[in-house]
Amino acid sequence: MPIASSLLNKPKLVAKLKKFYEYVNKNDGKVGQKTRGIDLNFNNACNLRCKYCFTNSPKGDHVKEYLDIGAIKRLADEADELGYFEFDLQGGELLLQPNKLFEVLEAIKPERFYMYLTTNGYHLDEKMAKKLADYKVSRVSVSIDSMDEKIHDEIRGRKESWKRAIEGLEHVKNAGMDPYLNITVGHYNANTEHFKQLLDYSKNKKYKTLLNVAVPSGMWQNAEEIICDDKDREYLRKIRKEYKNLVRNIWNPFDKNHEKILGCTTVNRVYVTPIGDVLVCPYVHIKIGNIFEQSLKEIIDHGFSIKYFRNHSDLCLAGEDKEFIKKFMTKSGQTIFKPALAKDIFSKEDFIK
Amino acid sequence: MNNLEIYKSVFVESLQVSSDNFNENLEYNEIPEWDSIGHMSLISNIEEKFNITFETDDIIDFSSFKKGKEILTNKYKIAF
Repeated sequence: MPIASSLLNKPKLVAKLKKFYEYVNKNDGKVGQKTRGIDLNFNNACNLRCKYCFTNSPKGDHVKEYLDIGAIKRLADEADELGYFEFDLQGGELLLQPNKLFEVLEAIKPERFYMYLTTNGYHLDEKMAKKLADYKVSRVSVSIDSMDEKIHDEIRGRKESWKRAIEGLEHVKNAGMDPYLNITVGHYNANTEHFKQLLDYSKNKKYKTLLNVAVPSGMWQNAEEIICDDKDREYLRKIRKEYKNLVRNIWNPFDKNHEKILGCTTVNRVYVTPIGDVLVCPYVHIKIGNIFEQSLKEIIDHGFSIKYFRNHSDLCLAGEDKEFIKKFMTKSGQTIFKPALAKDIFSKEDFIK
Repeated sequence: MNNLEIYKSVFVESLQVSSDNFNENLEYNEIPEWDSIGHMSLISNIEEKFNITFETDDIIDFSSFKKGKEILTNKYKIAF
C-alpha cells in the first residue's frame, strides 16, 4: 500500500492535479494563468553559508523573523481554494528548527497538497525522513553542487555538508518520499564533466533531478556572466531527452516526448517571505502584494495583470531572459526583503486592462 | 493491437520502462518512474488511447497494473 505521503492517499490533491493537467492540455501544453504552487520561506535562518544564496541568508538578512502560524494557515486555505496543488517549504534551512517546521506543516495540512521541502540536507537523518513522510510530505529536494565533496563543502561554507546531503537523499528514498537532487546550472558549469557527474549520479540512484538555472539575484546579484546562453540551452534540451529523470519547472512534465515547454511560472508559483510579502517567484524580487493586506486572489489577479507574467514565455524570466533581467531585476538592488514594487517598476503600458 | 496490448504499451511508454522490465504485478511507487507525475502521465495517456475520462476516485484507486485493468473493465467497459 502507498505510504501516507503518497499521491494516492491525497484525493484532494489528485482532483486539483487533474484540473491542472486538463487546463494545460487544453492550452496547448502551456501553463497560462493556472495556479500551480506556493513557495514559502517562513524563516530565513540557515546553518550554511552558500556562495550563491538567493535569500541573502548568509548575510543574516531578517533571520529572526517568522511568518505567523495563523497567517500560514490562512494562506494554505486560500491557496487550496484557488486550486494550488504544490506547496514548497524552503528557507533558510527548515530542518534547523524541526519543531517549528512540524507546526507549520500542521497548519498547512499537507494532505491537500503535493507537499515538499527544499533543504541543504545537513540535518536530514533517517529518523527525520521517516517523520517527514508521516507528516505527509511527498517530496524532499536536496541541493548538491558537485560530486567532489571538497567543492560542494567549499561552496556551502561548511565541512561534511556534501556527505550529509548525499546520505539525506538516500533516507528520503528509503522513507518512501520522492527524492529530488537539485542542481543549479549556469554558463559556468553547463556541458561540463563536473555537471554530467551529478546528472549520472542522480539517474543511477533513481532520483529525480531538478535543474534550477543560475539566476543573478541574492548573493549573485549583477553576476550576469552566470546566465545560460543559447548554446547552454541547446545542451539542456538535448539532455532532457537523454535523462528521463530531469525536471525543470518551465518544462511540461506530462509530455512523454520530453519537448514541450510549460512556460515561465512567475505568479503561477508565487514566493511568500517571512514578512508576508508575495513575490512573483523566488528569484524575481518584485512584490505584487502582502498576505496581511490582501487576499491571495487579489494578489494573484494583480500579478497576472502585468503582461510579462500573464503572457507565455518560453524562457525563465529570472534566469534566461536577459532583457527582462536587465530591465527589472538588476537595477535597483532588490532582495527578497527589499523587493521592487510592481506598481513602481512597471509602466502603465505593462499592465493589461 | 488488442486492448491488452494497447494497455501494456501505454504503461511502457508513459513510465518509460523497457518492455523487458515490465511485469503485470507492477504497483504504484514500486519503480521511481511511477511517481505522482508518472501517474498523471499514465492516466492521461490511458484516457487518450481508450477515449475515456477518469473520475477522480478512479485515479486514486488506480494503484497497480491489475487494479487499473479491473477499473477499465468494470467501470469503463473496456474489454480485455
